[in-house]
Amino acid sequence: MGARLKKKGTTGAATNYITRTRAVRKLQISLPDFRRLCIFKGIYPREPRNKKKVTKGATPATTFYYTKDIQYLLHEPLIAKFREHKALGKKISRALGRGEAGDAARLEKTLKPKIALDHIIKERYPTFVDALRDLDDALSMLFLFANLPSHTHIPSKTIELCQRLCLEFEHYLIVSHSLRKSFLSIKGIYYQATIQGQDIMWLVPYKFVQNVSGDIDFRIMGTFIEFYTTLLGFVNYRLYTSIGLVYPPKFNAASDEAGGELGAFTLEGRAVVTQELNGQGRIENGAVNEEATAAAQAQADKIAAQQSADIALPTDEAQTDMVEEVTDGIDTFETTGADADILPQPQASSSEIASLFADYTFYLSRETPRQPLEFILKAFGCKRVGWDSILGDGAYVTDESDPLITHQIVDRPQIASEATQSNNGEGVEAPVTKLLWPRAMVPGRTYVQPQWVWDCINQAKLLRPDIYSPGAQLPPHLSPWVKPKKGAYDPTVPLEEQERVGEADEYDDDADVPAPIEGAADQSQESDEDVIEGESDEDDVDMDVASDNSDSDSEDAFAAAADAAAESDFEGFEDEESEDEATKAQIQHQRELEAEAAGLPAPAAPTPLSKAEAARKKHAKKQREEQEEEQRNKMMMSRKKRKTYERMQYGNEKRSQEAEKIRAKKRKLEKGKQTS
Amino acid sequence: MVPQKSRKRKAEVAKAPTPEFESEDELENGELDGILSQSDDESIDSDDELTGSGEEEDETDESELDEEDVSEDDEEDIREQMRNLKTSSEPILRRKKSKTSDTIPNGTEEPANDENGTSSTLGDADTEERFGSLTSNYTVTTDANGNERYIYKEIDPVYDSDDSDAPATTNTIGNIPLSFYDSYPHIGYDIDGKKVMRPAKGDALDSLLDSIDIPKGWTGLTDPATGKPLELSREELEVLKKLTRNELPEEGYDPYPQMVEYFSSKTEIMPLSSAPEPKRRFIPSKHEAKRVMKIVKAIKEGRIQPYRPPGERVEDTDPDVKRYDIWADEAPRPDNVHHIPAPKLPPPGYEESYHPPPEYLPDKDEKETWDKTDEEDRERDYLPKDHDALRKVPGYDKFVKEKFERCLDLYLAPRVRRRKLDIDPESLLPKLPSPDELRPFPSTCATIFRGHEGRVRSLAVDPRGIFLASGGDDGFVRIWELMTGRQIWSARLSTEDAVDTVRWRPGRDTCIVGAGAGESVYLIVPFAIMSPETEDASREILDAGWGYAASRPTATDGKEPAAKWARPGTKLEDKGVLVKVTVRSAVKVINWHRRGEYFATTSPRGQSSAVAIHTLSKHLTQLPFRRLKGMAQVALFHPSKPVFFVATKNTIRSYDLSRQELLQILQPGAKWISSVDVHPGGDNLIVGTYDRRLLWHDLDLSTKPYKTLRYHQQAIRAVRFHQGGLPLFADASDDGSLQIFHGKVVGDLMENATIVPLKVLRGHQVKSRLGVMDIDWHTREPWCVSAGADGTSRLWC
Repeated sequence: MGARLKKKGTTGAATNYITRTRAVRKLQISLPDFRRLCIFKGIYPREPRNKKKVTKGATPATTFYYTKDIQYLLHEPLIAKFREHKALGKKISRALGRGEAGDAARLEKTLKPKIALDHIIKERYPTFVDALRDLDDALSMLFLFANLPSHTHIPSKTIELCQRLCLEFEHYLIVSHSLRKSFLSIKGIYYQATIQGQDIMWLVPYKFVQNVSGDIDFRIMGTFIEFYTTLLGFVNYRLYTSIGLVYPPKFNAASDEAGGELGAFTLEGRAVVTQELNGQGRIENGAVNEEATAAAQAQADKIAAQQSADIALPTDEAQTDMVEEVTDGIDTFETTGADADILPQPQASSSEIASLFADYTFYLSRETPRQPLEFILKAFGCKRVGWDSILGDGAYVTDESDPLITHQIVDRPQIASEATQSNNGEGVEAPVTKLLWPRAMVPGRTYVQPQWVWDCINQAKLLRPDIYSPGAQLPPHLSPWVKPKKGAYDPTVPLEEQERVGEADEYDDDADVPAPIEGAADQSQESDEDVIEGESDEDDVDMDVASDNSDSDSEDAFAAAADAAAESDFEGFEDEESEDEATKAQIQHQRELEAEAAGLPAPAAPTPLSKAEAARKKHAKKQREEQEEEQRNKMMMSRKKRKTYERMQYGNEKRSQEAEKIRAKKRKLEKGKQTS
Repeated sequence: MVPQKSRKRKAEVAKAPTPEFESEDELENGELDGILSQSDDESIDSDDELTGSGEEEDETDESELDEEDVSEDDEEDIREQMRNLKTSSEPILRRKKSKTSDTIPNGTEEPANDENGTSSTLGDADTEERFGSLTSNYTVTTDANGNERYIYKEIDPVYDSDDSDAPATTNTIGNIPLSFYDSYPHIGYDIDGKKVMRPAKGDALDSLLDSIDIPKGWTGLTDPATGKPLELSREELEVLKKLTRNELPEEGYDPYPQMVEYFSSKTEIMPLSSAPEPKRRFIPSKHEAKRVMKIVKAIKEGRIQPYRPPGERVEDTDPDVKRYDIWADEAPRPDNVHHIPAPKLPPPGYEESYHPPPEYLPDKDEKETWDKTDEEDRERDYLPKDHDALRKVPGYDKFVKEKFERCLDLYLAPRVRRRKLDIDPESLLPKLPSPDELRPFPSTCATIFRGHEGRVRSLAVDPRGIFLASGGDDGFVRIWELMTGRQIWSARLSTEDAVDTVRWRPGRDTCIVGAGAGESVYLIVPFAIMSPETEDASREILDAGWGYAASRPTATDGKEPAAKWARPGTKLEDKGVLVKVTVRSAVKVINWHRRGEYFATTSPRGQSSAVAIHTLSKHLTQLPFRRLKGMAQVALFHPSKPVFFVATKNTIRSYDLSRQELLQILQPGAKWISSVDVHPGGDNLIVGTYDRRLLWHDLDLSTKPYKTLRYHQQAIRAVRFHQGGLPLFADASDDGSLQIFHGKVVGDLMENATIVPLKVLRGHQVKSRLGVMDIDWHTREPWCVSAGADGTSRLWC
């Protein structure tokens, strides 16, 4: 009695996967509905490990889903809603066909099934942290749509909702001081916040009309927006309630109409007061409101309590010394012995960063982007941000000449200095003009360009403002997320520190020649140098081959090519080289002999190579030796290991090449600077 | 019967008209004559129409119109008459019965009958003749109402009887061109198969003459059916003309006549049906009542809301605003193995900056190659570009497209988990809790307790968190109010020995302090600081053992007892020091068991009697170790299990008390252990050493320390975990500082403890190279107290 023969295609991969067509038929819904369902439920296609097993031998370009995923969709209540919607569509079209427009409108209004995604949110994100983890895309999309005009598939109500949710989220970040970093890119402004240990990064476009052209399907985007708005709504609710705020915050439509944006919302709840205490307890808030007085009262109470405690006990000087030292934050610990473990400590406490701009009053000039600046300044503790009334409602001050203003953010070229001088000469008596800059500068006020704000928050300290003064050449704006990697170029470190040994010498005297990596362009240049260079030239060619190959995306292809190049070229190459060297010596010797015979002075050896060439040659030789060694090692490896190693090497090499390229450029720039 | 009669009559008419008329006269009382004369007129009229002279046409039209006008009026009259007739002579009624009559009245005038009724029948024969020849197919009679009635002749069903207007000779060649017969003398065949000959054509002169005086109705066309010249009358031409112009062919035809409401325009006097009204019209409908009740019920239950204007309803419930916490009862769900979360987008690099370092900008070649390559093959979808001011940065034109593509990736792209080879080592590091999550921890000195002369050796906060007990070099035990720093109780235990250790008995219902001075351990119930009940309870616990000790045979085997339990003397007893236990050598450390029944004392110098366990209820002392390797430093109980830890100079041993066996030997690698404390969870241990190290032991992990911390300049005197649930621990050192750490232990075995240094508390002064001697935590709050060599104790919060 042998085991019963198993029929093919009844278990395993063949049944685990299902094609999209089959899935749609199984669910008995249309393809667009299936798409929506997949987007809502977060179901995505799979790549079977062995396609042939799944498709019984055929390999058409099909998308596969997990059968389990689709089975699980069968019970989705949304499908019923989709069917209802379809039925309603039929009714409406019938009514319209009969010319009963009123009937159709009524049907649409009363019978339209309302699709609620609440249960899906809970299902996809069982815990709040899960939802936070997945917030990146949601925020990017919502911030984009908050800046888009409405569309046939995206009604204006949805756009409004996006705007509202985004602003609410920003308000949370301001109150909780969870914004960490931000970056001005050519695409838009990146922000990163850390909420409950989750890093959330999103991209906000600059305020321009977006180019909506080509094959963009807004129905798909609309579906995503539908899901994301629901998600962010719940996230906002949770975030607000977690810090004791009332959700939704009060919305002032009139202020919003006047361009209030962030200012159109009024937060309510006990936490506003406590937050005030924690973060900015010492600020005398300019805006007179209840919160400020409450904070002041609490402060007074605290001081009184301290004093009473002091009175109860006689104080000595040690005590008084201590009081000054005492801070609320974490102390830094330094180990005293070598054998101890080093415990990591969180860097700066959030309250420190949170009050980065707390003491200052900012004024935004008309030409600066108000929304991001307002958000960032407020998120980093600034309470008083003013701007020109043109930029919208909600400014702390709109008068540019207000003496409270300590910093003004300006993004205009400097105007000839005599104008400012003459104005300064008039002094205080001069009639106060509303717009001062650029005709006059208020003494004691710091004028900076917008980049200063971003660089300050990324480095978590106030930078020197004079570098960022209006009209000044700004330092490069660097991404705060790039971690220095081994072998990669780091613009913050001087060039000398990251060069290979002798790399600078290699390129020393051909500063005008583009870096050799740039390929074909300098090929001719090198061929000119052939006469002098001799053997090193071929080496360069070989490098070019490698670099060309590296451009191709396929790793395997590269590995194979590199292999081939290394294996085939290499031995022959080396032989040729040694031969070359030998013949050269021979020829030299021969010439000498001939000269001797002819009674002439011995001809000088071929002109000594310049320093750069020597260095280059040295490097080439070293490289060759390394390659040889590597080759030898590789032979010892198993095939599998070699493949892995090669793949690793590929990445490393690519990175180092990139770095080298950039270093070359930098070197050239520095040269240019020196000569000019 | 009647038609037959009339037919016979007709046949007779042909032969002998007069007698027939006479008989008729007899029958119908001469009324017919008038009608006949009338019909005569009509027939003449119709005759005229048929012969159709142009001049008369207008006239006839007018007359027709008149007739129509009249006819409506006539109908009224007829009805009137019908009503009159009912009351009029009997014979007429009878006649009406006998002769079936047409109900539709004709437009003839009744008065005319009366006028002509007596007219002579002289011209009858003439009229009859004419009548017979012209309108041969019907006779006019009078019906029951006295109206004229046409009786049509019976049709004789002979051949040709149905097409009366068929021409005599017809060409039967069908629908073929007549030109086929051009060469023949005939133009076709008639119905009998005879040739229809071509009509003779006049010669050229004739045709010329014909053309000169065009006959009436000449068209110049040939009738294909007859081959004769087609002649059309003027009316026919007119009709054709109108047809070509798309006009109405007939003059005076009204295409949109007024609707005549035959049935509904009049109110009938009599009902159409005389059936009685059905009963259901009078009783209320059951079905309707049922439906009404359904609605009533729905309203009562609130399923049907009263009508509100639609504007309001939208206002009060905006479905987009989330008003509940969906994660209120969140429970983490283990992630499905098959679930692959969408990869996050990588953060932007330097080259994406609006103002990147110049070396990242592409040179000419790179730009060219970028332009040349296909959009899909490009490594990145933008070229780095430098803008020297933020205001010059333009919008990114591919933004929406990029986001759209990301959307597509999210739901269309198959996800595959790939092994990544170069792992960022930083990603493996544990994530530190944020500083806000580390709160609360003590940071400031709140109270200073002064009073001891010389060093304060030891202190402890009572289990309720109200009092602080401290013992110092001056031999005093003092009890303070924790919050205010006021001393409320003190007693001098010994004049020569310092009080080395003070510990409260655990449990909130009693108030007992154990204090070690020299070789004695004093158990104290401080007077008058507690409520009397607590005091009594405490005293009872201490006194319970006296009897037991008395009943027990003492020192039977001549051996020196492990300890002597005695009363300390009245002076002290008045203060509340109730029991004095004297052991063989100086006690340095006291540690209570969690239930308060036992306490362990450690006297480092006492060889075999170094560690003693005392039973409070029995006043009994046991020496659990016959011989101990090394000098015992600390002995303490496990917080939950029957496990006993003994720390010697270099090692820590844990013993199972119930099974009386060694469990584990920990090797901290320290030269001299000063103090040990067990985490309330029981799986972790901290060790402070005189060689300036603080060691964290994970008992499940290894016998070696999990972390070694060296943050102190001088020896560590004391270490202590917070016992009230906060993840804090602290150590005290001879350099005069306390260090506070965050030490979070997670329940599951997979995760190691998280240790974060938090705070250095400075305040104690270093006196003769001694700084802080002891430390203790408040039972609940994140407050700690420290005993300094400078004679003060401090509360930190």
